[in-house]
Amino acid sequence: MATHPAHLGHPELQPIHPAPTSFVRRYVFSLDHKVIAQQFLWAGLIFLFVGGTLAMLIRWQWAFPYRKVPVLGPLFLRSTGGVIGPANYQNIFTMHGLIMIFFAITPVLIGTFGNFLIPLQIGARDMAFPLLNMLSFWFFLVSQLLVIASFLVALGPAGAGWTGYPPLSTNIGMPGLGQTLVVLALFFTGVASTMGAINYITTVIRLRAPGMTYMRLPLTIWGLWFTAVLNALFVPVLGSAALLLFLDRTFGTQFFIAGAAAVRGGGDPIMYQHLFWIFGHPEVYILILPAWGIVGDVVSFFARKPAYWYKGSVYAMATVTVLSGVVYGHHMFVTGMSPLLGQGFMLLTLLISAPAMLLVFNWIFTVWRGSIRFTTPMLFALGTVFVFGLGGLTGLFLGDISLDLYLHDTMFVVGHFHFTMAAASFLGTMTGLYFWFPKIFGKRLDERLGKAHFWITVVGLTLVFGGQLLAGYAGQQRRLFDPFQYTFIQGLRGLNRWTSYFAFALFAGQFLFIWNFLRTVFGRAEAAGQNPWEVTTLEWTNTTSPPPYHDFDVIPEVRRGPDEFENPAVKEALGRDWIGQAEEMPEPPASEAGAAKA
Amino acid sequence: MDAVLEERGGRRGPAPVRDLEGYRAATRARGELTAYVGMLVFLASWAMLFGGLFFAYALVRGRAPVWPPVGDPRLPLVLPGVNTAVIALSSGALQSALRSLRRGRPSPVAGALALAAGLGALFLALQVAVWISVHRQGLLPSGGPYGSVFYALTSFHALHVLVGLVALAWLAVRASRGAYGAMRHVGVRLWAMYWHFVGAVWLFLYATVYLL
Repeated sequence: MATHPAHLGHPELQPIHPAPTSFVRRYVFSLDHKVIAQQFLWAGLIFLFVGGTLAMLIRWQWAFPYRKVPVLGPLFLRSTGGVIGPANYQNIFTMHGLIMIFFAITPVLIGTFGNFLIPLQIGARDMAFPLLNMLSFWFFLVSQLLVIASFLVALGPAGAGWTGYPPLSTNIGMPGLGQTLVVLALFFTGVASTMGAINYITTVIRLRAPGMTYMRLPLTIWGLWFTAVLNALFVPVLGSAALLLFLDRTFGTQFFIAGAAAVRGGGDPIMYQHLFWIFGHPEVYILILPAWGIVGDVVSFFARKPAYWYKGSVYAMATVTVLSGVVYGHHMFVTGMSPLLGQGFMLLTLLISAPAMLLVFNWIFTVWRGSIRFTTPMLFALGTVFVFGLGGLTGLFLGDISLDLYLHDTMFVVGHFHFTMAAASFLGTMTGLYFWFPKIFGKRLDERLGKAHFWITVVGLTLVFGGQLLAGYAGQQRRLFDPFQYTFIQGLRGLNRWTSYFAFALFAGQFLFIWNFLRTVFGRAEAAGQNPWEVTTLEWTNTTSPPPYHDFDVIPEVRRGPDEFENPAVKEALGRDWIGQAEEMPEPPASEAGAAKA
Repeated sequence: MDAVLEERGGRRGPAPVRDLEGYRAATRARGELTAYVGMLVFLASWAMLFGGLFFAYALVRGRAPVWPPVGDPRLPLVLPGVNTAVIALSSGALQSALRSLRRGRPSPVAGALALAAGLGALFLALQVAVWISVHRQGLLPSGGPYGSVFYALTSFHALHVLVGLVALAWLAVRASRGAYGAMRHVGVRLWAMYWHFVGAVWLFLYATVYLL
């Protein structure tokens, strides 16, 4: 071979650093992407539990308004005698949304999987900027602490809805310190997300192992990378909204307060909605793109087939990423937007469902006629496809202006975004968690508990959010403290109560996961082995479970795409239906080669 | 053999390096390029943050029947104009430091960096002077949209100048100790990228908030 073109890179370009020995450097202020991923995982899972508990309180309120809350009431609602009061209710549904989106799903789906998988799946020894990575987690932790602090101050935490629309979120609507702290927390978590995004984008561009071309990246990496792009570009817009709201609340500026507009001009509450949704619509794709990527890989892995039209999936995700930046207006159809502008947004919104449907079809064709292994991650992946399909279809109703006029601000909206953002993201997260758990912790989760968890979760989610869709279609407004004050909603009492029962069952079912997870992490469990799922990507084929500090003893040289299954040549040579991305094909036996020559 | 193996996805990865000398140079270049890519992503990201703020300004201004609103004092033009020149000169000084480094003449570098930092400090001082004079004339952050926009945009920008100023001063100290050379100045170049960005934001801010 002639001289090697140096710019292509080489294993030694990333030296092996000795692992730190002190406890603090190793587990607390760690630069190791795998440890940071676990920090995000624990921080996120704890808040996921808090957010879920808040959801149960909301469901209690809609099933049994004015009744004492069992267990939690005497503990946390002493001032109102164990009953959820109107102000408590505001705080509860606001914090449920904020916590779930920014402090639970985001850290687990993006923080954990992004940090853990990006270096391992592209064949790098760490992120491009490990120190920035560490800072990203600590900024995130500060934001979580601010959220916790907001619960402890007078008048409670934020109560203006997760979107924090002014004027409710200004000092006029929310005079308490809690709202300010939460706005600050949003800014901090935005900074943390941006730091993470810079790292993810740069790492994927610069640190891919030799031979890991863009079109050989696992779909998971594509999902995470597009998410990082959206995070880098649009989270700062939320930052600007949070900043202006913070200034309005603290220094008395008037960006979002419509003053005596006729004479002096004034701020504009609608302006906040623009800024918020310029960020907010990409945000829903931020939360679903990693799940799409994970599902794309996992269905291929467990159907034992190459992902159907891999490039199509990549291009579809790219299209969604681009379009997601220009559809935000559909959140504001009823704010008095110009009809022409509204129609433009409607068209773009309906357009975005085309690439999304292409992805769904690719997943279905991947599974079609595969040798399916119904493991827990596979079940969760199929569940994600199912709930995402439902969520996507209901989105078409809301994207259409003439229907949206009737459906906006009803429980239909709540059901829709819970199917996409909550159910699909959550199931996607669980897919990833069950799938990579052996790699992260080196042990295997119990499959039977996992499958039970899956069935309770997917059925529960469908019933709960389906109930919300029905209630909304029947006209129940969202966010009502006591919906049954309205005569026309009184007939929905039974529906609401049943939805709540399902929600309680869904919540109870999560303890299966908690039990399974904690028992396996802290107890004794079967060692996972390097590649328990028999799949092809670098983290499974080229390193141990859990990987060493430097990830790879030798940086692999990648030879093929991420899903080399059912290749007859491989079967003949190796006797198995898969071959790793960096695995060398053995020379065929001499006799056969001779036979071929003859 | 290739016909038998028939691997999907095409060519094999590159072989090990023979030329160690060239490889080491490539390693450094690679690491630096990674840092530049990261900085570019950061600046794109931060441009969106400032973009959000300017977007808010545009909407507020679009709603106002008269701008500046009746009764609000006019913003001064001269002092901020001088400040535009100051931050442009500062960027120039930084660029000349970078050029000296590239040409392998490290002696004027520390001075040029110190000049850039000093001009940055002058910028902040003049900015404070503008704030004081405008505040004396009765423009308050809480006094309506005009004050809101002015104080929010200028102070958020000044915060970025402050960060850059501290960094430049630190770079100057390090340069005086001979820390940078023709092949080792990635820190200077990264902060130069940041500093030019902050300068460009100021130019836009001056044009839209003061002049227009």
